[in-house]
Amino acid sequence: MVTEEEIEKVAKLMKIEVDDHKEYVDKVHAMIDYFDILDSAGVEDEEIFMQEIPITALREDKHIPFDEKLIEKLNHYKGTYVRAPKMS
Amino acid sequence: MNLKISALSYVQEVQNGNISAEDFTAATLEHIHNIDEKLHAFLSVNDNAINQARDIDKKIKSGKKVGACFGMPISIKDNMCIKDSKTTCASKMLENFVAPYDATVISKLKEQDAIFIGKANMDEFAMGLTTEFSAYGPSKNPWNVDYTPGGSSGGSAVSVSAFECVASLGSDTGGSVRNPASFCSTVGYKPTYGLISRYGLISYANSIEQIGPVTRTVKDTAFLLNMITGLDPNDNTTVDNKNEDYLLGIDSGVEGKKIGIIKEMMAEGTDPAVVSATNDAISKLEGLGAICEEVSLDMVKYSVAAYYTITATEAGSNLARYDNLRYGYDFSLEGYEFNSYIQKARKNFGPEVTRRMIIGGFVPSAGHAGKYFLKALKVKSKLTKEINDAFKKYDLLIAPTVPILPFKLGEKIDDPVALFLVDINTVTANLTGKPAISVPFAVSNGLPIGIQLLADSNNDKILLQAANALEQTVKLPEVPI
Repeated sequence: MVTEEEIEKVAKLMKIEVDDHKEYVDKVHAMIDYFDILDSAGVEDEEIFMQEIPITALREDKHIPFDEKLIEKLNHYKGTYVRAPKMS
Repeated sequence: MNLKISALSYVQEVQNGNISAEDFTAATLEHIHNIDEKLHAFLSVNDNAINQARDIDKKIKSGKKVGACFGMPISIKDNMCIKDSKTTCASKMLENFVAPYDATVISKLKEQDAIFIGKANMDEFAMGLTTEFSAYGPSKNPWNVDYTPGGSSGGSAVSVSAFECVASLGSDTGGSVRNPASFCSTVGYKPTYGLISRYGLISYANSIEQIGPVTRTVKDTAFLLNMITGLDPNDNTTVDNKNEDYLLGIDSGVEGKKIGIIKEMMAEGTDPAVVSATNDAISKLEGLGAICEEVSLDMVKYSVAAYYTITATEAGSNLARYDNLRYGYDFSLEGYEFNSYIQKARKNFGPEVTRRMIIGGFVPSAGHAGKYFLKALKVKSKLTKEINDAFKKYDLLIAPTVPILPFKLGEKIDDPVALFLVDINTVTANLTGKPAISVPFAVSNGLPIGIQLLADSNNDKILLQAANALEQTVKLPEVPI
């Protein structure tokens, strides 16, 4: 069983402010509780299927220039850098 | 002007000179103007559509080569990028985002002279199944405006059902094309994973989502697939379909085909009207020479929990980019520390997106991944094995698209688990990468019911043939608008 404190901690780590407890913590709690059904699936010994893509199947590792100055579409930039607020 | 015609009929009418692209587009825009205030299928309408249609008419008259769409008005779910057009994902976060490039599906349709009549409403970032989570208000079901049209591609299905366009593109992560298609009595298609490029589709859950057509007929879906499928160097997950012609042989029928009826998708809780319609569809297919028998996919019971665990995890990662620096709602940088700035920006996500981001941070986190995320991946693996085994015996599988009838707007919005369970019959195709289609089949007390058919990966053509055969067995009432 998940605790409300755990949910609040994850929200904070994801930079989400939880100001409406009923809307966020309570509903997330109900959703995660539903996932407990996975415990009865009996899949402990199941292998996880991973699709392997050989490196030869990937496109060439080559810079493809975009036809516009994309950075100019941003609201906050300086030269070729994105501007961000100061980190504490 | 008859706006109720299919895509193939539209092309024929324009080719024969019976209608012009301009007249059809003008009539479509007028219809949207008259009806969309009530239905809210669109988030934006293309103001330049008439000029584009006029240009296509000029090409036709001058004998120049014209693309296969001949100016056909198509709506596009607002999570696909059209260069120099707003793409909001029905979110306040992207309220002012203008796409700098075309999605691959858009480039392909432009080459075929399609007209993008407008951007269709949806649940915010495609998270939802009623369109009630659109930041701009829900779409309404044209069969009864008090009811949800389904989602997340609700605007796409409404626009096709209510004749506000000839066809639409939606995206399907857990049923988001098939669910609204079922609720609005249109055809909705989720292709084999990789058949259609996702380049330019705003990402939600990359490993399972696909773009898919919403159309009035199965043949129209095949027609659209002929134009939008195939390898794309910009999407490494695309598969080479060797330029398959999905219309060729579409009337082949189902004689001799073996069809498995998925037991777990007709379980307790399925609406009796939906059970009755499904049984009727099975009888009709048997009447056409198919052999139908029950098959069990045990993991279906756990599929919704696995689906939401996996999609929330991928969404948590995908949505991390909305920090108001590269994308997002604009406000000044001054006076903020980095974390508080991003926290403020993220308040522009709606409640469902916020909840799924929190879940997406929680279920794969250290200490919880074994209980949730890894177990969900194991369910996905076992479900894939089960369905692969089923396809060794059967050509197709059948089930209701949605186990319940369309429900009233607001009825389930405060109960997230009740909403989860509406997806129970559709997520299997996404988790396993199989193609699936919803075919309009019945109307019960004025509300549509769709039947879902599934096929093995890359057997999209066989699936369309069966869907076309099923579609021919019924004549449904017209949408009461």
